[in-house]
Amino acid sequence: MKVFNSTQFYNYSWDYVSAANWCKYPNELSTHVVGVDVLRREFDPDKGTLTTERLITCKQPIPRWLMFLVGGQDKSYVREVSVIDRNQRTLTMRSCNLTMCKLLRVYETVVYRPDPVSPVSRTRFDQVAEITAFASLRQLCDKLEDWSVERFGQNARKGKLGFDSVLKNLEKQWHGIADKTQVLLDEVNEKTNDVMSGVNEKTGALAKVFGYRN
Amino acid sequence: MGNLMSTSFAPECTDLKQKYDACFNYWYTEKFLKGKSVYNECEDLWADYKECIDIHLQKQGIKPMLDEAREEAPFENGGIPVDKSDEK
Repeated sequence: MKVFNSTQFYNYSWDYVSAANWCKYPNELSTHVVGVDVLRREFDPDKGTLTTERLITCKQPIPRWLMFLVGGQDKSYVREVSVIDRNQRTLTMRSCNLTMCKLLRVYETVVYRPDPVSPVSRTRFDQVAEITAFASLRQLCDKLEDWSVERFGQNARKGKLGFDSVLKNLEKQWHGIADKTQVLLDEVNEKTNDVMSGVNEKTGALAKVFGYRN
Repeated sequence: MGNLMSTSFAPECTDLKQKYDACFNYWYTEKFLKGKSVYNECEDLWADYKECIDIHLQKQGIKPMLDEAREEAPFENGGIPVDKSDEK
């Protein structure tokens, strides 16, 4: 498992940041997020907490070299559960990928709270991501081999069909050319005969003049 | 806040979602944060929206993945994974 840590500050009040969090997407930089859905939301007036479950839909966030593991599907999903405590002024979001989670799990925890130094105008953001890969090299190799065999079969089938169509198309042309060639040859023969007889006539005439032949 | 609103994973539900979101965002800022609210006021819009996404979660095959994740990190537990003592 690998851990990623980060702390940032926003120069806005926690109230404002927590409200803006619901409108984070779409934004210009996160174009990979194509959908945000609220799956469940519960408000506990006694505790002053609001719990929300969301589904985040992303497009193409998977590196190309991993695409074969997810069968070329281009959308991936993340489940997120957030808890807002309005008395403590904290917003805690936990998220985990739904897609590919048997191979790689990214479990992220994010906390927004007022900056202790200037709580009214600044918000502190803490982020921890635990990244765990479950796939052993053996599993990856098996997957890769299965995929390769399958793809090879697909390509082979495609190759056969493709060559069939090429053969079919060329066949027409082939016969077309053959027919035309025959016509051409006939024409050439005819012309040659004409010319030859013409030449013969002329040479005959010349021979007569010069007394050569006949 | 911001005019752009996010869309649903299912385009068919985007309209219902945005109606719900608009209601919620107002409630959150004006009622929840100010401690003026005793209940979630957008429940009716929520019910329509949820009905729509439930159908499409099933159709698009997202439901099983979601159910599994819910078991691992329950909503009731704030999404914190239940400790299943590393069995590896």
